[in-house]
Amino acid sequence: MNSSRDSISEALHGWRVTPPADPGFRHKVWQRIGGQTSTTWPAYLRAHPAVWSLVAVVALSAAALAGTALARAHVQADREAIVVTYLVDLDPRVQAVLKP
Amino acid sequence: MKNLLGTVVALVLIAAATGFLCYRMNFDPALHAAAAHGDAMAWLRADFHLDDRQFAEIKKLHEAYAPSCEEHCRMIQEATKAHGALKASDPVAAAAAERGLRGLRAVCETALAAHVRRVAAIMAPEEGRRYLAMVLPKIAEFDHTAAPDLQLNRSH
Repeated sequence: MNSSRDSISEALHGWRVTPPADPGFRHKVWQRIGGQTSTTWPAYLRAHPAVWSLVAVVALSAAALAGTALARAHVQADREAIVVTYLVDLDPRVQAVLKP
Repeated sequence: MKNLLGTVVALVLIAAATGFLCYRMNFDPALHAAAAHGDAMAWLRADFHLDDRQFAEIKKLHEAYAPSCEEHCRMIQEATKAHGALKASDPVAAAAAERGLRGLRAVCETALAAHVRRVAAIMAPEEGRRYLAMVLPKIAEFDHTAAPDLQLNRSH
């Protein structure tokens, strides 16, 4: 039992890995690092389609609603103001209060 | 990180452009200009899509109505002064003067309502209905003791 263990230990001690030298190794590593940092924008978007589609739909809908609501509020305020001006000109009861 | 930032910036710009476009599509520059200048006739023309004939007829109606409006105004002012003078000295006469004043205001309201109905009749039917829905409640809600801008905005 002991003699077989010793032989394995000896074999492991004597084991040396000598891989063949790869002259392009360094170049390949830099190429992979470079590839990770310079992903193109379309490629980035294609990689996250669901998230960005959802964000785009939400953002554009919110902007459209806000723009519409703001314009309608302005139109309503303008209309209120001009209706008052109009009726002040037409209504003798108002003029009786306003005129000296 | 650069792509994330670029995407966020692009989305913000596109959203802002969308919001601006929707604002412009729903905003009414002619109405805004009329309100800014206090030009009620320009408002009528823009808001109720009057053609030249309708506009000329409504303008003529308003001009014809103006003298009776001034006459009513003068009568209300005189009745108000008389009522004020009698208030302290002769309560019975003051009550009669107040009834007379109320009667005058009712006549004015009826005359004004009839006038705006004539104006509405010149407009396209749908526009006329919209116009009446806008002005008749304000005429009916008029409170002669309050400033016109305060009481006329009360319904909204």
